[in-house]
Amino acid sequence: MSTFDAGGSQLDTSWFLLLAAVLFILGTVGVLIRRNPLVILICIELMLNAANLTLVAFSRQLQNLEGQLFALMSMTVAAAEAVVGLAILVDIFRHRDAEDIDDLSELKG
Amino acid sequence: MTYPSISQLAMLILLFPAAGAIVLAGRGWRLPRIVTKLVGPGVVWASFIVTLNLFLNKASGDFTYWTWIQSGSFNVPFNILIDNLSIFMCLVITGVGGLIVTYAVGYMDKEDGPSYARFFTYMDIFVFSMLLLVLAGNFVFLIVGWALVGLSSYFLIGFWYHKRSAVLAARKAFVMNVIGDVGMILATFVVFVSYHATTYRAVFKALPANDTSSLELAAFLLLVGAVAKSAQIPLHTWLPDAMEGPTPVSALIHAATMVTAGVYLVGRMHPIYDVAAYAHGAVAIVGAVTALFAATIAIVQTDIKRVLAYSTMSQIGYMFLAVGVGAYSAGFFHLLSHAFFKALLFMAAGNVIHAMNDEQDMRKYGGLLKQLPRTSWSFLIGSLSLVGVIPFVGFFSKEQILGAAFSKPDDSLALAVWVFGFITALITGFYTGRMWWMSFAGKPSPERPVEHPHEAPPVMLIPVLILAALATIGGFIQTRALGIGPHLVDDFLTVKAAVGTQSWEGGASEVIATFATMILAALLFLGAYRIYIQHSWKPWSAIVPWAQRLLERKYYFDELYDAIFVRTMDGLALGGLRYIEEPLIDGAVVGTGELAEAGAHSLSLTQTGYFRNYVLVFVAGAVVVAILVLVRVGS
Repeated sequence: MSTFDAGGSQLDTSWFLLLAAVLFILGTVGVLIRRNPLVILICIELMLNAANLTLVAFSRQLQNLEGQLFALMSMTVAAAEAVVGLAILVDIFRHRDAEDIDDLSELKG
Repeated sequence: MTYPSISQLAMLILLFPAAGAIVLAGRGWRLPRIVTKLVGPGVVWASFIVTLNLFLNKASGDFTYWTWIQSGSFNVPFNILIDNLSIFMCLVITGVGGLIVTYAVGYMDKEDGPSYARFFTYMDIFVFSMLLLVLAGNFVFLIVGWALVGLSSYFLIGFWYHKRSAVLAARKAFVMNVIGDVGMILATFVVFVSYHATTYRAVFKALPANDTSSLELAAFLLLVGAVAKSAQIPLHTWLPDAMEGPTPVSALIHAATMVTAGVYLVGRMHPIYDVAAYAHGAVAIVGAVTALFAATIAIVQTDIKRVLAYSTMSQIGYMFLAVGVGAYSAGFFHLLSHAFFKALLFMAAGNVIHAMNDEQDMRKYGGLLKQLPRTSWSFLIGSLSLVGVIPFVGFFSKEQILGAAFSKPDDSLALAVWVFGFITALITGFYTGRMWWMSFAGKPSPERPVEHPHEAPPVMLIPVLILAALATIGGFIQTRALGIGPHLVDDFLTVKAAVGTQSWEGGASEVIATFATMILAALLFLGAYRIYIQHSWKPWSAIVPWAQRLLERKYYFDELYDAIFVRTMDGLALGGLRYIEEPLIDGAVVGTGELAEAGAHSLSLTQTGYFRNYVLVFVAGAVVVAILVLVRVGS
C-alpha cells in the first residue's frame, strides 16, 4: 500500500516528499538569507515541519505508527525550542535594539 | 646481664640528644625560654652521665639492634661498637660538649625566643650526629654520622642567616665537607667490594696481612674524608671562614669535636693504616705540613677567632702527625687535651667578644687584664697550654707526640715530620704570645668599642673556669713526655687494641728535646711582648714585607681555588645558561606556547560571529553528508 486516499483520487508518497523538500529548502534559504531573528526562528519551524511531514508521509506509506509518534514528539520539542528561542530574543531586544542578527557578532575571532 | 643492659645504655647515649633536638625543634619556640635553657644542655649532660656509667663499668661490646639494609650479600646492620676508643670519644664529646652548651645558654641570651630554641636544636642535633659517628659499628652508619655532623655544622655556621658572609661560609664548609663525604663513600665501596662486609669487625678480620693496591686505595679515600672534616691541607679553607658562626659553635664543632673526627677515623681504621704503609705515611705528611702551614698564617691574623681557627688546624695537624707515625694514643691524648684548652680559649675569647660588643679585632682590644681578670687568666692558661708550657695539659700531649716522632727508630719520615712539628711548636709560641699580649696587656686601644667592659655572667664563666682547671691539672693523667709518671690514656686506649699500639719508647734525648722545644717556644711567647707591646724590637714583617703579604693572603689558597674551581663552575653554569638553558630548554617551552597561540589565532579567524556563516557551514556539511549517503545507497 503506497498511496493515500484523498477524496477519491490517490496521491503518491513522492508528492508529499516533494512538498516537504520544497518547504525544507524554503526554510533553509530563509535561515540563511533573512536577517530578522524572528523570521529566522519561523524559518526553523518551517524546516522542522517539513521534517515532520516526511515522517508522517512515510508512516502512512509503511503503515507504521512510530513515524507519527515521532512527529508528535518533534512538535513538542519544537514548541519547547520556540519558547527558549523566543525568550532569548526577548531578552536581546530588551538590552539592545538588534533588528539585524548581524549586529550580534561580538564573538567573532 | 643487669638491667639496664650495656646495649640499652649505649642506645640511650644517642637517644638523649636526639630527643632533646626533637622536643626543641617541635615545641621549643612556644615553650617558655627556661625549657630551652634546661633541655638544651641537659640532654648532653644526660648522655655524659650514661657514658660515665659505661666508662666506670669498663663496658665493651658490639651490639646489633636491627638490620637496616639486607640485599643479597650486602648487609647493613645498625650496630653500636662500644670499646675504649668510642667511650673515650663519647666522654670528650659529651663532657666538653656539655660545658660548651651550658656556656651557650649565657652566650646566646641576646637571641629572641625562636632563634634561641633553634640554636639549641642544632646543637643537640650536632651532639647526636657526632655520637653516632663515634659509636657506629659499621662503615655505613659512620658515613651517616659523618654527613650529619657536616650538616649540623652547616646549620650552625649559617646560624645568623641574615649575614651574607655567614651564609657563604656555611656553604663553603658544606661543599668542602661533601668532598670528604664522597671520599668516605667511595672508600666504603672499595672496602665492600674487596672484603664483602660493612661492619668494622668483619672488615678488620678480612684484611690481608700484606699491603695491596685496593687497601691503599681505601685508605687514601678515607684520608680524603678525614682531611676534609679535619680541615687539613688541601681541603682546609672552610675552617677559618666557619668562624662566622656563634662562638660556642666554634668551640664545640670547630675546635673540640667535629674537626677531630679525622683523627678518630684514622685511629678507628688503624688496622687498615697499619697495613697500608703509603697512606699511613701520607697521613703524617698531611698533618706535619698543615701544622706548619696553619701556624704561619696564624701569625698575621688580626681576628681573635681566626687566630684560634688556624691554631686549631695546626694542632689537628699534630694529631694527624701522631696517628700518621703510629703514635695513636699520643694523638688521642692530644685530642683530649686540645678539646680542653681550645674550648677554653674559644669560650674565653667568646667572653671577650661578648664584653666588647661583638668586636673580634685584637688590635682594638688591649689592656683587658685588669678589667676582665678571670677571663684573662683563663685565656692565659689556655695559651700556655697551647704553647706547651709545663705543667699545662698541652705540654704533656704535644711533647709526647714530638717525642714519639723524634724517637721512632729507623724511620726517616718520622724524623722529618718531627722537624716540622718542632718548628710549628716555636711558631705556636710566637703567635699565641702575640694574641695574648695584644688582647690583654698594654694600654687599651683608642678604638676599643667598650670603655669599661663587664665580666661575663656566671653561666659563661663557670664552664671556662672548669676547663681552665682541667687544662692546668689534666696533664698529670699522662706524663709520658717526661719519661716517668702515669700514662692512663695510653693504658686505656690500648686495651684490646682499641687504637693501634705504639711499639717504641723514648729515652733521655727525647726528654732533652722536649724541654728545648718548650723553652724556645716560651721565649718566643715572651718575645712577642717586646714586639707588639713594648715596640722595642722591629716587627718581623718590617724585615720581610713580602712574607707578610703572602701570609695575609693565606698562601693564596682561596684565590687559587676561586680561579680553578669557582670561576670554572661559574663559567660552566653561565655557558649552560646561555647556550643550553635559554635557547634549548626555554626555547622548547616558549615555542610550545607560541605555536599554540599562533594556531589559535589563525583558527579564530573562522569565528566571524555571523550567524549565517555558521548556518551555511552547517548546511553545507549536511548536504555533503546527504550526498555521501545517497552515493553509497545508490552504488
